[in-house]
Amino acid sequence: MVAINTSGNNKMNNKMKTEKINIKAALTIATAALLGVSNLAQAESSTISGTEESAWEFDSAFLFYSEVDRVSAGEAIFNAKKTFANDEVLNLKLTIDALTGASANGAVAQPTVQTFTRPSGNGQYDVAPGDTPLDDTFHDTRVQLNGQWTQLIAPDYTASGGLHISKEYDYLSLGINGNIAVDFDRKNSTFSAGFSYFQDTFTPEGGIPKPFASMLVGDSNEPTWDEEFAKTRIGSEDDKSTADILLGFTQVINRRMLMQFNYSYSMVDGYLTDPFKILSVVDNNGVSQDYVYESRPDSRIKQSIYAQSLYHFDTTVLDVSYRYMWDDWEITSHTIDSRFIIPLGDSFGTESYLQPHFRFYQQSAADFYRPFIMDSDPLPAFASADYRIGEMTAFTVGLKYGLLVNNGHELSFRLEYYSQTSTDAGFEEPGVLKDVELYSSVDAIIAQVTYSF
Amino acid sequence: MNKANKANRAINLTKNKDSYSISFNAMASPCEVIVQSNDKQLAQKLGNIITAEVWRIEDKYNRYDQNSLCSVINSKAGQPVAIDEETYLLLIFADHCYQLSNGLFDISSGALRKAWSFHGGSAKNTQFPSQAQVSAALSNVGWNNIKFDEQKITLAKGMEVDFGGICKEYAVDRALILAKQLSDKPILVNLGGDLAVTGSRLNDETWQVAIEHPDIDSALNRDAIADMIVSLKSGALATSGDARRFIIKDGVRYGHILNAKTGWPIAKAPRSITVVAPQCIQAGILATLALLQGCNAEQFLTEQDIKFWARR
Repeated sequence: MVAINTSGNNKMNNKMKTEKINIKAALTIATAALLGVSNLAQAESSTISGTEESAWEFDSAFLFYSEVDRVSAGEAIFNAKKTFANDEVLNLKLTIDALTGASANGAVAQPTVQTFTRPSGNGQYDVAPGDTPLDDTFHDTRVQLNGQWTQLIAPDYTASGGLHISKEYDYLSLGINGNIAVDFDRKNSTFSAGFSYFQDTFTPEGGIPKPFASMLVGDSNEPTWDEEFAKTRIGSEDDKSTADILLGFTQVINRRMLMQFNYSYSMVDGYLTDPFKILSVVDNNGVSQDYVYESRPDSRIKQSIYAQSLYHFDTTVLDVSYRYMWDDWEITSHTIDSRFIIPLGDSFGTESYLQPHFRFYQQSAADFYRPFIMDSDPLPAFASADYRIGEMTAFTVGLKYGLLVNNGHELSFRLEYYSQTSTDAGFEEPGVLKDVELYSSVDAIIAQVTYSF
Repeated sequence: MNKANKANRAINLTKNKDSYSISFNAMASPCEVIVQSNDKQLAQKLGNIITAEVWRIEDKYNRYDQNSLCSVINSKAGQPVAIDEETYLLLIFADHCYQLSNGLFDISSGALRKAWSFHGGSAKNTQFPSQAQVSAALSNVGWNNIKFDEQKITLAKGMEVDFGGICKEYAVDRALILAKQLSDKPILVNLGGDLAVTGSRLNDETWQVAIEHPDIDSALNRDAIADMIVSLKSGALATSGDARRFIIKDGVRYGHILNAKTGWPIAKAPRSITVVAPQCIQAGILATLALLQGCNAEQFLTEQDIKFWARR
């Protein structure tokens, strides 16, 4: 599946809120300096209560993602938030994705036509000479529901808990999370600790392929086909569990600057293989002899550190973050993400802002990544040709324009260009593989409309 | 005036059903502290500590008091005057307000009072000053002409500073800090309508606060003018705008809030705005900044996502 970063949208929505409260937030910091009390979070929360619960607040977003010649996705997000009498906050979010198109199946391009069997076992598809093999059967709809409850449990202590359910045709994910945040140093500092646990079940059509089993290619209408295909399968479903621990620290540096540091530790256990991905087995001349299903370890430990800085200039806000991730698959990655928020004032007849966005991502390959397997070499313990765990560089450039429409509701448009280039991690390219593109690139356009009401 | 103020410094303690009420006068306003407790000693102690703090701030920053630090700073305009940390922090805060309002809010705008006098009802057709008079007064206004650091402040000659726009709210916040140190009982501090609470009342009940209608003094159809009742659980509430200080000219009502850039009153502003915020000084500034937006006052607060009540 192509991962579409929905949490990014959520973050965007939060960002918009912070843009709207510039003066309020600046005053809060000024007041804290004057009185030596107060805090940022408190200013966000409603101090008024009694009979007056806030009305539901709604955000909706529509996102369109399209890779050149590959996957297209549409996504709709509805977010509803309600603040209750004692500042408890209930947040409900519904996300619906529809995905369609083609995705690289892991095999290498060849100077000849290649035939592959669909993951379901029902039928075949051909790939033209020189083309990166794409499986064009990707279409899926995902419905995801998140609920989160946040409340103050003692002065300076905020607790939050949530539930997550996500369902696709062949995938079910259930999750819980909890978080506690403590304010101290006159609420200029916040320390938070959180955990989450997800249990995912994968039931791909056609079952779970046997690691390194050869892909059966032939006439799927033959009477023996189903029996032969079943031999390449080890079951109909498999599952995995993910446990995450997140520690965070937020510090108000001065009235213009806020810093945040996070550390996360993530343990994933179970079925981590992609049942739709294969590898080409090639001879010394680079010619494909066989296609085998990929095989990944059944556990992965990921860690990351993250630093973010928000700097408030006189009118504009600069938001820069850096993340370093490493795991026991030997993947390391660097992410630099930056946004610059430029309020345009009333220049277009209504309050509006521009937000340029730039993101840079670089990743090293997993230790078992290989673009293909040589038939002369002994079979490795694990292997995958999935470009997503190979060496790559990616960047995103984008621009968002937001404006206040009637009643202070906010409407925003985002347009981004994403470019990802897989790079050679130093694998020798025998024979015909020298003449084909082993490391393809993905270019995508992302368009989003968001309306808060 | 100063002596009269100080002579008037009495503290009255009243027992209510489940609370004590401490009333006193400060900053030309009736003030009240309510503590939800039957502990008389605690109430007395709170009364003493809070009044001492409020009167201390009044004595230090009242520009009508010749002995106040504010008056010393103003009378020595042109030369440096030593200041303490508290004053420095208030000046820093005033600077933030100046920056955030793009210069509309300026504590050096006191000099404009030489051109304007607002007496409200008694002088309904006050003459406007001439532009020449306003310009003359305006030449002595300008936050950028004030130099200050942690040790001293220097005003340009002819300038005045006035802490009146932030002092009462600051006193509320200071009083609340002291109250919290003394007791964890629910406490409300109200200085002439600008108020804050330490938290909800016992059993998580809210404080019921009445906001006076700006027309309350007009005596005309008083029955039709109800006070507004607000439920407050935490934080503070401040009102900007004043029923008693305005000019009516050619049928248009001009409030006493002056635009520090032009020297003229802000037209088409609401008569009063009440804002809720975590701290009283924030609420007060937000209400004032909103009034400075004139006819856009409500929109300004709505866009900032701030809880408020405006009266036009």
